[in-house]
Amino acid sequence: SLEALFNPKSVAVIGASAKPGKIGYAIMKNLIEYGYEGKIYPVNIKGGEIEINGRKFKVYKSVLEIPDEVDMAVIVVPAKFVPQVLEECGQKGVKVVPIISSGFGELGEEGKKVEQQLVETARKYGMRILGPNIFGVVYTPAKLNATFGPTDVLPGPLALISQSGALGIALMGWTILEKIGLSAVVSVGNKADIDDADLLEFFKDDENTRAILIYMEGVKDGRRFMEVAKEVSKKKPIIVIKAGRSERGAKAAASHTGSLAGSDKVYSAAFKQSGVLRAYTIGEAFDWARALSNLPEPQGDNVVIITNGGGIGVMATDAAEEEGLHLYDNLEELKIFANHMPPFGSYKNPVDLTGMADGKSYEGAIRDALAHPEMHSIAVLYCQTAVLDPRELAEIVIREYNESGRKKPLVVAIVGGIEAKEAIDMLNENGIPAYPEPERAIKALSALYKWSKWKAKHKEK
Amino acid sequence: MKGEALKIIEEVLAQGRTAMVEYEAKQVLKAYGLPVPEEKLAKTLDEALKYAEEIGYPVAMKLMSPQILHKSDAKVVMLNIKSPEELKKKWEEIHENARKYRPDAEIFGVLIAPMLKPGREVIIGVTEDPQFGHAIMFGLGGIFVEILKDVTFRIIPITEKDARKMITEIKAYPILAGARGEEPADIEAIVDMLLKVSKLVDDLKDYIKEMDLNPVFVYRKGEGAVVVDARIILKG
Repeated sequence: SLEALFNPKSVAVIGASAKPGKIGYAIMKNLIEYGYEGKIYPVNIKGGEIEINGRKFKVYKSVLEIPDEVDMAVIVVPAKFVPQVLEECGQKGVKVVPIISSGFGELGEEGKKVEQQLVETARKYGMRILGPNIFGVVYTPAKLNATFGPTDVLPGPLALISQSGALGIALMGWTILEKIGLSAVVSVGNKADIDDADLLEFFKDDENTRAILIYMEGVKDGRRFMEVAKEVSKKKPIIVIKAGRSERGAKAAASHTGSLAGSDKVYSAAFKQSGVLRAYTIGEAFDWARALSNLPEPQGDNVVIITNGGGIGVMATDAAEEEGLHLYDNLEELKIFANHMPPFGSYKNPVDLTGMADGKSYEGAIRDALAHPEMHSIAVLYCQTAVLDPRELAEIVIREYNESGRKKPLVVAIVGGIEAKEAIDMLNENGIPAYPEPERAIKALSALYKWSKWKAKHKEK
Repeated sequence: MKGEALKIIEEVLAQGRTAMVEYEAKQVLKAYGLPVPEEKLAKTLDEALKYAEEIGYPVAMKLMSPQILHKSDAKVVMLNIKSPEELKKKWEEIHENARKYRPDAEIFGVLIAPMLKPGREVIIGVTEDPQFGHAIMFGLGGIFVEILKDVTFRIIPITEKDARKMITEIKAYPILAGARGEEPADIEAIVDMLLKVSKLVDDLKDYIKEMDLNPVFVYRKGEGAVVVDARIILKG
């Protein structure tokens, strides 16, 4: 079990430092500042005492000197000291060891051998290794931030797994800016021991995680990844950004099929068969993740678009058609929207409340759509006008959605200036996926439908 | 199924070869119930004449040699042979072409096959990926595969749902479904073939490295399909 990786009762930082700029300092600081409530034990061969953020710590010369159980030991010492330090962790009975240090398998054959020895040491003691060559691990429900990335990770329902170190750290910062709430951030690095499949198994049953986003360059055991991903997808959505669309493997192939394959097409096949949604850009992946980690599953195919502008309404309709979403077209029922628009408005889907739409119009239309049993998903679009401050609209949407009990998917797109941006942030902070462009809202809703449909198909059996 | 196919594979391996000739590959496919033409391997001219008579003219001739896997490059495929006289002439020609192309070519015989009525051409293939193992490929033949690379893959084994999705998700699917007044192709026959290839490779994954069924002629709905040419590469 990876329980100790996410909910450790105590954390030792081996290679801890009081010097700003050092990784051993950054990890200590993040642990403290993010509010980790378990015990923190700095370890450094130099011993003595350090003070970080006004808190004084005794520094142990070895993990073996710590007069307490250690669940997790984060190793940041240079590569050549890692085997010895890991051996001591084993003797101490440490459960899980994130190895931040780099200089192993990523360097070549020699490094791979050392890495394999580390895994053997860990196996001997029943320890698990995360990494090496990583930036650490975050688990927001435990207020655990054992990384040298940004501190203020926003808590939320999305688990983020990254094979890339630099990109992973950058994405942590990006999620803060973009108001994307995370349950976990896991840097997997060289995946010597713990890999994507192990983490997926943990997140499958983790009540704090509703969706998983993986940045992946490759997997070692493709079959196991598929098997696990397929099981997890039946419960929670998985989004993968798979980098490296090269044609490796195509050259040596003797058959026609081999020359057409390339590993990337095979990855795509594996993702399709295991319900994994493949995103091609970071933006797309997080757009989908907002919807997939926050919204309930749709109970039917009927989508209703509510807008104050014909232009974005048409753009959203185009996107919906491209994505194969079904716009609700029962005019008898759509007539209810006529109550919320001037006579020249259009209650045909996309429902155009017109440029005169104020807070009352939107409030009424959104409330009716949320309450209607045949309207299964809602996209609220707004072009910023002088009639209605987008922030006021955000408040209306948040209130109406909460009062309805959040039983159906709802996405929002607001096009406009600085107030629009603020409104989008407000919505996202409240777990309502909001975007600056209508197509992005529709595509995110479509990702939710894709996963939901895959899931329904694979539950029949 | 497996036993029969394995026997053919082991014979090929015993000869120190990993590339099966078309005739052998088709025997393996036949063992798994894939539709291959009623064709026979003639070792002598007399046999060739006899088989051609049995099959009925016109026939096709394809020379089988482990050294000549690209048969059209070597000009060892002769089509539309209408009479015993023509067959005799072509018998000489096909052997001469083989000798010219590869003087050291070992010749197993000449495959005498019926002339097949043309259908919509599809390709079914198998490749082995280092991370995921064997994957099956499907696409339309000709320019669709050569130029547009309009093909799709699934990891083996596949389900019937996978097979159906593979067929409908290629861009050229409307051609199979019946575009511009054409009658729909036999989609069920393709589904059946994809599932049989998946089963074959899953059973024999320790032996098979790559495979091409190219082309496969697919006929109109209800009229089936046939593997026109096939290649199987074994693991060394």
